Amino acid sequence: MRINRQIIFVFTALAILIPLVKPIGFPVHITKEVQQVYNAIDELPPGSTILISFDCESATIPEMYPMALAVLRHSFTKNLKIIGMALISEGTAIGQMALTQIANEFNKKYGVDYVYLGYRPRMDATILGLGENIVRVYPQDFYGNKIMELPMMADIHNYNDIPLVVELADDSYLISWIQYAGARYHQRIVCGTTAVMATSFYPYLNSGQIEGLIGGLKGASEYEKLIDKPGNATKGMDAQSVAHLLIILLIALGNVAYYMVRQRAEKV
Amino acid sequence: MSTNPGIWVSVIFTLAIYSFLYRDNPIYKIAEHTLVGVSVGYYAALYWHTTIVPKLAIPLIEQGHLFLIVPGALGLAMFFRFIPRLSWLSRYPMAFVIGAGAGLTIPAAIQARIIKQMSATMTPFTSINGVILMIGVLTTLTYFLFSTKRKGVIGVGAKLGIWFMMIAFGATFGYTVMARLSLLIGRIQFLLGDWLGIIK
Repeated sequence: MRINRQIIFVFTALAILIPLVKPIGFPVHITKEVQQVYNAIDELPPGSTILISFDCESATIPEMYPMALAVLRHSFTKNLKIIGMALISEGTAIGQMALTQIANEFNKKYGVDYVYLGYRPRMDATILGLGENIVRVYPQDFYGNKIMELPMMADIHNYNDIPLVVELADDSYLISWIQYAGARYHQRIVCGTTAVMATSFYPYLNSGQIEGLIGGLKGASEYEKLIDKPGNATKGMDAQSVAHLLIILLIALGNVAYYMVRQRAEKV
Repeated sequence: MSTNPGIWVSVIFTLAIYSFLYRDNPIYKIAEHTLVGVSVGYYAALYWHTTIVPKLAIPLIEQGHLFLIVPGALGLAMFFRFIPRLSWLSRYPMAFVIGAGAGLTIPAAIQARIIKQMSATMTPFTSINGVILMIGVLTTLTYFLFSTKRKGVIGVGAKLGIWFMMIAFGATFGYTVMARLSLLIGRIQFLLGDWLGIIK
């Protein structure tokens, strides 16, 4: 028994397309790990500085961008100052795009309320270097300004002046943050990641090496609910749920067909 | 429908890539090769502007930090890989990178990924999660005992370990399905929203 795979593709496309055009409105429940990320940011006093590392590629924008926007909106709502950076090259443009978009939305001033450092290669050396002296690692920001001339950076020298790191990673880059910033400098870290990577990071959540975890589109939709600003993640979750039901159905059908074929073969 | 040329370029390449779902074809190949070419160009420009210029050229030429000649020369030595007769020269920067990388990584990894994780596993048996965690870790490790025959306690432990691993693989697969669908949802949102304007 064979089903043409293009038929499955068409059904999957329809399962996504229909709920996007006609939303169903499935409820979004907040999980403990997403709430922990929210709390870690929410409990910081206004004026505190957080560092957000945009370590994701363009291929994972559908998952990573909504959570980046949600975290940025929350941070600016709390009047936190933001240092943005990237440890993988493609993340540079994504970080700049997200930070600029939300900073404009909140009328935040560059150099005073937020700074974008841009990209540096060799993430292990960069993360370690930030623990010693930020200016030594980033003498200039993404736009070519001297870091020392930016008002916001006057009192920020290393992790001692940054109460929280938010790592937005679509691969195992979080481990470098845990190894170098967490273990060596006792830096508090929360993480947003793709669904693929989420299971790999749960052991670090259980061990307390990260304080919270946003996993994939589902995690992003939870964060959007927490800040009461539904975005693309919330809109996408109906489609996600319907597509999951379809896949469960296909797996069940596949197993039934497998047993029927096997029984028929045994009879012959 | 959008009148933004950038959106149209994205739409054309999105549809070209998805045409692979029908079968491999020249349009898909063009899109794939363009992506690779653009990515390489982007990386080269980014490395030049964010690393070579601010971290090497300016400090060396304008500020006279002559010690930067050493890492600069080591970096250039990497290109000797393209000249078979002199390719041995590229081993020096490689040796430096591997040596420094190992020196940085090994102590940090032992602390963060072994000792800390081991201590997190040794939770008191006051909760059901602690008990399950301990049984899961021990039985999974038992599965990887290849130097003894899988009989008796070892055999039962290994079989239980397989169950724990299957549950872990199932969770990972479930998350992977979610991730891949999210990417498709993102593209369809783009096509329906940014391009066609059907959804907001």
